[in-house]
Formats: sequence, C-alpha cells, structure tokens
Amino acid sequence: MDSTFFYRNPNRTESPAGKLAGMTVAVQSGIGVAGWPMDPGSDALAGFKAPENAAVVERLQQNGAFLAGLSRSSEFGLGLDAESAAGRAIEQKDARAEIMLDLAGEARLAACRSGIWGFKPTWGLVPKVGIAGLIPSMEACGILAGAPEDIRLILSAVAGPDDRDFSQPAFSYADGSPAGIQPDRITLGVVEEAKASLPGDEQKAFDEELAQLQKAGFKVKMLSWPDYGLCGLVHRIVGSVEASSSAGRYDSVRYGKRAPGAKNWNDMYLQSRGAFFKTLLKSYLIQGAYFQFERYDAYENACRIRARLCKEFSRLFEQVDALVFPVQKPDAPETLEGLYDQFKSTAHANVTGCPALTAAPFAAGGPALQFVGALKDDVRILALGIFLSRTATGGKS
Amino acid sequence: MMEFEAVIGLEIHVELNCATKLFCDCPNNPGDDPNVNTCPVCLWYPGAAPRLSQAALDKAALLCLGLNAEIQSKSAFDQKVYYYPDLPKGYQLSQAHLPLSRGGWIDITDEDGSVKRLRIHHIHMEEDVAKLVHEMEGRNPISLVDFNRAGAPLVEIVTEPDFRTPHHAMEFLKALRTQVRYVGSSECSMENGTMRADANISIRPKGTSQMNTKVEVKNMNSVRHVGDAIAYEITRQSAAVQAGEPVVLHTRLWDPDKKVTLPMRQKFEGPCVPDPSVPPIELSPDEIEALSKRLPEMPATRAERFVNQHGLSAEESTYLSSDPEVAGYFEELLREGVQPRAALHWLTTQLLPAVRQRRQELSQTPVTPARLAALLSMLAKDEINANAARDVLSSMFDSNDAPAEIVKAKGLAQVSDASALEAMIDQVLAAQAAAVADFKNGQSKAAGFLIGQIMQASGGKANPKVIRDMLTRKLSSVSA
Ligand SMILES: [Zn+2]
Repeated sequence: MDSTFFYRNPNRTESPAGKLAGMTVAVQSGIGVAGWPMDPGSDALAGFKAPENAAVVERLQQNGAFLAGLSRSSEFGLGLDAESAAGRAIEQKDARAEIMLDLAGEARLAACRSGIWGFKPTWGLVPKVGIAGLIPSMEACGILAGAPEDIRLILSAVAGPDDRDFSQPAFSYADGSPAGIQPDRITLGVVEEAKASLPGDEQKAFDEELAQLQKAGFKVKMLSWPDYGLCGLVHRIVGSVEASSSAGRYDSVRYGKRAPGAKNWNDMYLQSRGAFFKTLLKSYLIQGAYFQFERYDAYENACRIRARLCKEFSRLFEQVDALVFPVQKPDAPETLEGLYDQFKSTAHANVTGCPALTAAPFAAGGPALQFVGALKDDVRILALGIFLSRTATGGKS
Repeated sequence: MMEFEAVIGLEIHVELNCATKLFCDCPNNPGDDPNVNTCPVCLWYPGAAPRLSQAALDKAALLCLGLNAEIQSKSAFDQKVYYYPDLPKGYQLSQAHLPLSRGGWIDITDEDGSVKRLRIHHIHMEEDVAKLVHEMEGRNPISLVDFNRAGAPLVEIVTEPDFRTPHHAMEFLKALRTQVRYVGSSECSMENGTMRADANISIRPKGTSQMNTKVEVKNMNSVRHVGDAIAYEITRQSAAVQAGEPVVLHTRLWDPDKKVTLPMRQKFEGPCVPDPSVPPIELSPDEIEALSKRLPEMPATRAERFVNQHGLSAEESTYLSSDPEVAGYFEELLREGVQPRAALHWLTTQLLPAVRQRRQELSQTPVTPARLAALLSMLAKDEINANAARDVLSSMFDSNDAPAEIVKAKGLAQVSDASALEAMIDQVLAAQAAAVADFKNGQSKAAGFLIGQIMQASGGKANPKVIRDMLTRKLSSVSA
C-alpha cells in the first residue's frame, strides 16, 4: 500500500503554461478531481467518484499545476491521525505543495510536523465547492509548501469568488507587491494568555524565538485577551454540532457501504448512516448530536460567544499588525480529548476565520511560530513569512 | 352537555412555479421521467454547494407581499434534521429561526356574512424532498427514490390559531389560492399537489381562552377534505374529552375513503442548526420597496374597482376577480369595446363552460378576447342574433377564421330586411289563424308563439326584434 498517496495521477503530461507551470501539487483525498475516487479516509464514501472538479482543482489546473495525486487523509480531514499523510508528499519530494482542509489547525500542524510552511487562508477566500467537508463555518482550504513563496503563488491562483460557491463572502484577493516588509514598521502582538498556556520550558523557548524577531527589528507587544481560552470550547461545541448535522448527507446508501441486516429500507437508511465512521469521528459526531438535541441552549450560547470572540480578536489588530502564537507539537489523537489537545494552539484562527501561517519547523524542545492576521490580511501575513524565510529568522527552511 | 369550540391553525406548503429548483439549475419539473432533473447539488453529493435561486426568492417574496406579510430584512436557512429515505442527506434546508416574512392576513366571509380576518404567523422558504416510489419487481416489492422533486422550491405559510370552524379553513385556502395565483407564484392546486395543507386542531370549552393539546392532521388532497377532516377531528376530540380521555400530542392522517383520521408514525425530527453554506438573505428597504411595486392589483381591490367602474354587483365582481385570468380576459373584452354586462354574461355563461368542456386554459384558447369581442360587436349591431352568436362561438374553437367570415360561411347573418321578412310573416299568419285569433282575443302569449314560428321559418336567421315590431304593427292594423 502507498502510505502517502491514496491515488496517484496516472497521467504524466505536464502543462507548460500558467503561473503554476512546472509545479507539482498533491491534493487531499476529500478534494474532488473529476473521475478520480473521492474518499476522505472514510468507508462512508468508499467507491464514490467525484462527479466534477473542485473549484480549487480547476484553478490549479487552469494555472498549469500538475496534480501528483490524492494524499491520504484522516477521516473527513478531521485531526491528524495515523492515517493522515498530510505533508509527507512534500517531504518525499513527490510534490512541491499540497492542498488540504484545515478544520481546526490540521494544515498548519501537518506543516510543522513535516518541517515545512502551512497556511490557512481567511475563511471563504478559497472556494470549497467540490470538497467533502465536515464543519462548513470553520474549515478552509489549507496550503502546504516548502517555501512561503509557493504558498503565495498558489493562493493567488486559487483565491477569489467562484460562482458555484454561494457561501463565500464578497471579497476578492488582491496580491500586492511582494516587497514591503520593513521590520521596524511592524508591531507583532503576543497574546499573554496563549503564552501562559504553554509548559514552563516551552514558554522559555517561545521567548527566545520572540527575542529573535525583536533582534530582526520587529516590535513585539504583549496583549491580553482574557477570552482566548474560550476558543477551544466554542470550536468544540459549534464545530461538532455543524459536523453532526452536515455529516447526515454522507448516507452510505448511494455510495459507500450499506449496513447489513436491516428489517426494511427505512431501517437500512438509518443503520447505514454513520455505521462505517471510525471511532474518533463517531465520538465527535455524537458529541455534536448531544449539543444539538440535548443542549441546544449551549450551542446557541457558543454561537453568541463566537461572535464576541471575533469582535474581540479583530480589535487586537487595532494595536498590532499581526499576532504571533506558539504552536505545540501534537500527538496523534486517539480520543476527543487528544483531538482538542492537538488543536489548542490553532483552533482560534478557525473560530475567527482569520488567516494563519505556521513557520517551519518546531524549534528544538519548543513551539513553532504561527503568524495570524486580521481577516483578509492574507497577503501581508504571507509577505511576512517570505521575509522571515529569506532572513532565516523564526524558520530554518 | 358541555359545548366545545375548536382552535385551528394551518400549515400550508405551496410549491413555487419556478423554472428551476431552489438551490441548483435543474428544471423544476417533478413529473418528468424519474431522476432526469438532478445534479450533484440536488442529489447532495459530497462537495456540492447550494446556490439560492433569485427567481425563487422573488416569487416567495411576492407571495408574502400578496398575503399582506412583512418581508424581513434578514432571513436565513437552517438545517432541519430528520432521517427518512425521502431525505437521504439527513436534513432539509428550511428557514426555522429567521423566516422570510412575519405577519400577514387574509379576510374571508364568515358563515353569517361578516368579514373575518385570519392572521398569518410567518412564511418561510424551504426545499422539497425526494419522492418515494414503491413498486413490484416480479414478486419482490422494491422501493425507489425519485430525486426530481428534491430541492424544488417551497414556501410554508404558518397561520395563527385564529380558525374556529371548517368553513374558516376552507375559505382561507380558497382565498389564499386566489391571491397566490394573482401574484403568479404558484397554481396552488391541492389536487395536483402544488398546495398541501396540514391542520393543527385542539378543542376547549366554548368561551374559554385556554390552549389545549393539539393534534396535527395531514394528507388532505382537496379543500373539501380539509373541511371534512377538521369537522371529523373536532367531533372525535369532543367525544374523547366528554368520555374523560386525554388528548395527546400526535399526528393523524386523513383517510378520504373512510372519511376518518388515523394516527400515524412520527418521523424523527431534531432542532434546526443554522446552515453555514447558504448565506443569510439580506434585503434593503429599497429592495423590498421594489418588490412591492411588482405586486399586481390584488383581487379585493380589483373587485371593488369592478363595482365602481363597471357597475357590476359585489357578488359578480368578486366572482370575476377571483381568477386573475378570468378578470384579465374580462378587462380585455372591455378594452375591445364590449359593454360590461355583455362581457360578464358571455364570458361566464358561454365562454368559460365551453373552455372547460374542451379542457383548455383560458390563456391558451383560440377564442381570444379580440375574437370574442368581434363576435359580440356583430351581436350588438344586430348583424346576428344570440342563437347565431352561440353557434359561431362554438365554431371559433375549431377555426381561426374571423367571426364575420364564419357567420358568412354558415349563412347566419340576421335577416332584418323588411321585404324579405314581410313575406315570411304573412305566410305564418295565414297558416296560424287560430293563434292570430287568440292574440286578438287578448292572449298575449300567442305573440311569442307566432314569433317562434316565424323564426323557425327563417331558419333562425330572422332578427327577432324586427319581427316583433313588424308583427305588432301587422296584427294591430288587421284588428283595426
Ligand atoms: Zn439539481
């Protein structure tokens, strides 16, 4: 078994034209490529073939990228479990970049794990039509690459409104000049509560990384965001409720596996739905169903708190140009608690919809750095990453 | 014995007559061959994204405005979770929390002739589900799903519990149908399934204001069935309460053959979660204003105008304006110069029955207002008589010739020429001496008989007015 690719492109012709000409890109197996299997690591979609290209695939191809194949995914892209090969195609030099869903931080964490750069764009900037999703209001199309320049190039090709994706907010991607990062004119904010959540030795390592940034000329400003800790909770409730409701469409009847032994067809439908989900996804969906059916009040509260968090978060950018968060090295989750533990330093960007870039790799014994911008400030965050990669500050690649 | 009154509310689904479905471009023709009108969106394949149809939004908004409802500046879709094979994706997109409109009302005439206002709580949009087909394949029963209807645009009208009698419900549905047809959003036919009504019914001692446990009744396929089902349910619940049995919350199905309601199995339904894939609908005051401007003159206003402008009675006006096509046809006739009374008479007693008999639509019939007006103009000018006009009208359904040509071809032109009639009258008078004598003896009935005889002699072509004049003159001159 190919542990990196779920499906390799049998076609070897490369397109010579377009801004992505010569670039080989892997896409996660839940992203639709017309005629290819579409199976985000779930028997619920076994045997399903994508009826059409996902918008992002269409744009990659139009711009001359070559699709290496479908990379193996955790079930519906949730969490980085043992099945997920995210980042590996790039490590093995089978691809220069990879596109994958970022539901709570998967793309960014996978990048840190592989020692490359990982980016989650502003929610809705990249159309999600044609991707088997799970948490519509949290997930975004993440981009992984060895160099932030490639991420920026790909983003400029795949971002912007698509007339099939009605959920996208009305804004377009404006790629300004790649220059323009003058460290002494940039203030980076650090959320004290995020730093305080690290173990002592990791705090020290984080401080050292911040000192490096200061040495490069950036102003670093400590900020307080007392509600930071609520991000994980909000993601837990809102995300799982959305997933529980929207995963209903993966019925396992018209594709996937049907459950055997049902009394009648109604029963067969009821038994098949979700029967082949794995334990982690199942417990996630059951948690969502609990909030949806038993604690709807908690769900409504979480939605209200989320709106408040978004407002508070955007206000932080009145004082700074970008925020720096630590990203902790994750373990593969086996339980829901493990899943949330994995994403405690990344979920806030999914809750608020803001663009976030992880600079590779994890420092020895310490966290990696994550740069987060205000909504729609994707270009500046990527420019910052490019600057850092060239000055070898913060990241080594 | 305690007297009860019913508290009734209706939930009415109306299928909008849009060309496409609510969230994709598939044709909205549920009756086509199974599963031809489908795409990844309405099959809810992984990755498919819904896109709200502007046409459906417009039609739904016009419907709301036509029912005096207030369009909301912000409305949104939710995922209404229920698991049943007609909804394989496990949730229906519906507006549970933020409906398209709130308020609204319809005025009906109560049984005592007074006007009763029945209020609407809200109106929301939603998608229809697939159709289940149960068939036999050889000896094996098989169940199939037809997705042609999946994603068809619906609105649901939820009323206040203002209804007390089956009459209220039936009149409300009839008026609703008229008003929705007027705005052009739906045909609202319960028989064809473009309108479905469920009723929530509870009873309470007359004169109290308590709200008791309600029972939902479904599966009524005509306005009459709605009335019958409500009447049955009121009797059933009253008897139960008299007997000391509690009424429990549940759903019942109307059985039109046995004329009873029977309990049905509940579908599993959960609370609704806002759908993040369809953005909220935001309408500015200007946009709502622009929609209101597209609202046609509604039936009540039109009826009032018919009374004032054309001197019709209130009853005639209400009848004419209840169908926008009939009212429009009527006004076309007037524009072509037909007098209001003649237009009303010929439209309602001659044309409509003839159109119905031929199973045509008024808008499709070859007897256009201009052609009928040409015929009625010949009648008004005494060029033909009423008998001939009816005969010509019947031919106009099969021929595109001008009415004047049909008259000529059939030789139906009225004979008004005195010399030609003179001979005919003399002949009849000579042959009917007894009737002439009766007339002279003061039996005025005899005149009618004589006119009939002369008409017959003319082959129906004589102008009865001229005959009457000439006959009166002749007989009085003879008697003098
Ligand atoms: Zn469709």
